[in-house]
Amino acid sequence: MTVDVQYYVLLSMAVFCIGLFGVLTRRNALLFLMSVELMLNAANINLIAFAFYHGNLTGQLFALFTMALAAAEVAVGLGIILVLYRNFRDVDVTVPTTMRW
Amino acid sequence: MAVLELPEWMALAPALLLAGTALVLFLLDSINPRSTNRTLFAGVAVLGSLSSLAVAVWFTAAGVGATGIENYGVIDLMGGQFIVDQLALYFMIIIAIVTALVTVASHDYLRDHTYQAEYYSLILLAATGMSMMAASNSLVTIFIALELTSLPSYALVAILKDNRGSVEAGLKYFLIGALSSAIFVYGVSLVYGATGSLQLEDIATNLDVAGEMGGLLGLGILMLIGGIAFKTASVPFHFWAPEAYEGAPAPISAFLSSASKAAGFVLAFRVFTTAFPVAATTEVIGVDWTLAFVILAIVTMTVGNFAAATQENVKRMLAYSSIGHAGYVLIGLAALSAEGGELVMGAAMMHLLVYGFMNTGAFLFVALAEYWGVGRTFEDYNGLSKQAPFACAAMAVFMFSLAGVPPFGGFWSKYLLYTQTINAAADNTILLVLAAALVVNSALSLYYYSRLVKALWIEEPILERDRLAQPTGLYAAIIAAAVLTVVVLPAFGPVADAALEAAAAVVA
Repeated sequence: MTVDVQYYVLLSMAVFCIGLFGVLTRRNALLFLMSVELMLNAANINLIAFAFYHGNLTGQLFALFTMALAAAEVAVGLGIILVLYRNFRDVDVTVPTTMRW
Repeated sequence: MAVLELPEWMALAPALLLAGTALVLFLLDSINPRSTNRTLFAGVAVLGSLSSLAVAVWFTAAGVGATGIENYGVIDLMGGQFIVDQLALYFMIIIAIVTALVTVASHDYLRDHTYQAEYYSLILLAATGMSMMAASNSLVTIFIALELTSLPSYALVAILKDNRGSVEAGLKYFLIGALSSAIFVYGVSLVYGATGSLQLEDIATNLDVAGEMGGLLGLGILMLIGGIAFKTASVPFHFWAPEAYEGAPAPISAFLSSASKAAGFVLAFRVFTTAFPVAATTEVIGVDWTLAFVILAIVTMTVGNFAAATQENVKRMLAYSSIGHAGYVLIGLAALSAEGGELVMGAAMMHLLVYGFMNTGAFLFVALAEYWGVGRTFEDYNGLSKQAPFACAAMAVFMFSLAGVPPFGGFWSKYLLYTQTINAAADNTILLVLAAALVVNSALSLYYYSRLVKALWIEEPILERDRLAQPTGLYAAIIAAAVLTVVVLPAFGPVADAALEAAAAVVA
């Protein structure tokens, strides 16, 4: 039994929206990072489901690249959050306000 | 001038040279990790970027990407994942010039920094990503090149680890960057779902089978625009720009606001001309995507210029002015649906080249002021011309050129953009609004640019200053940028022709 592709798209859109909601409401930088990961993985669900739907491997291959890049992004992000903590003693993204619009 | 005997992958040499230089810097650093021999590291970085520039110019002169019997034609690599044509080489040249200017200036700016080799190799890795972006021809390579540009840039903005402003800027840049790249990759997945391909030409040929998934395709295109708006610092993803540019070390602000923006635009030009030709895409998704760029262009230039006019901090003013200039360049995309749109796009590319010189120069002057430690606001810059007349004269050139005052380069590129937009408006009257917005915003921008020139040359200093040092590297970079801004004038004709030709080749 196979699942129709539109259900995968619905799932990925739900995951994407949960991630977006997290990005917009969370103040903790680490939770922000996790929410972004959700959004990236929503794209991966789509890519793999569509690769199956279209019958080519391009999407699956790209999903592998996306995962690697997401890991690299987290590494850089955690580095920045670490220096943030050293300078501000907090990982709340609303605390650093040395600059104003 | 023969490049025939070179293997095909060598067409990417401008980008590969940058990557190789970054690796050489890593190697030098691993031989002696404690070394802070900044002359060696900066020298290697400058050498690498200049050789990339030389190769890109040589390829252009030898006719890579140009059609005709004596030329080499467009070079396709790795099954169409990369493409080296005139557009790619044109942007590789811009990126290499900005990288060279920034690395020369960094030599003095980073005089007390502990991590010298890391800094330069990160700059070169980011430049590699930008060069790759210019040549990418598939959404896969585009996304990878985009991340290769973004990740080192986040680290570079936050590289002053004990400086609160720098860390805060890095955090904000990273958060918005991560969000926009997630949106971008989701857009890529939707485009893939609708067309079944990630290679740009294949997407264009599969557009007609995407019929029943037109909605997904439209949403995907919208999300791609979001990712591009982040890279080019356009509305609605421009919030990071003032913060990141203000907090980052000034040479990095110069690098991001000139080279990174140019790379974002080449991506937009490539994706929207190759993968989503206006007529075919409109048929599938039911909306003309140039409309989105019309709105974005007007909003971006207005927001950028009005916000710049209210700033007291010079670096922040330049950051908002760079948003305003992104708005001008967006006209190149907005006009694509009209007849003669490729000429508008060529004019926008020309503006990006001139902007690369004058904006880098302006940020490097701010770097010089930070090196002196004179302060950050307009008042702090009062009367600097008495102590540093050459640098201040160069700054006046940059300011008037950015505002679009003749006879500097900025005037000619804006004038070309304006006339081409008016010509294309014969086909699509909405472009008249864009041309009017361009003129009104340029007039407004003269106010805040000339305010800085007035502070430098006319006002009396508030405090007595000691004699100011004259760092060679920073001075050399600023003077070089000023000379390039002025020299563009006699060279304008041929360079503009090259830009227009490159644009026409992509659109056709």
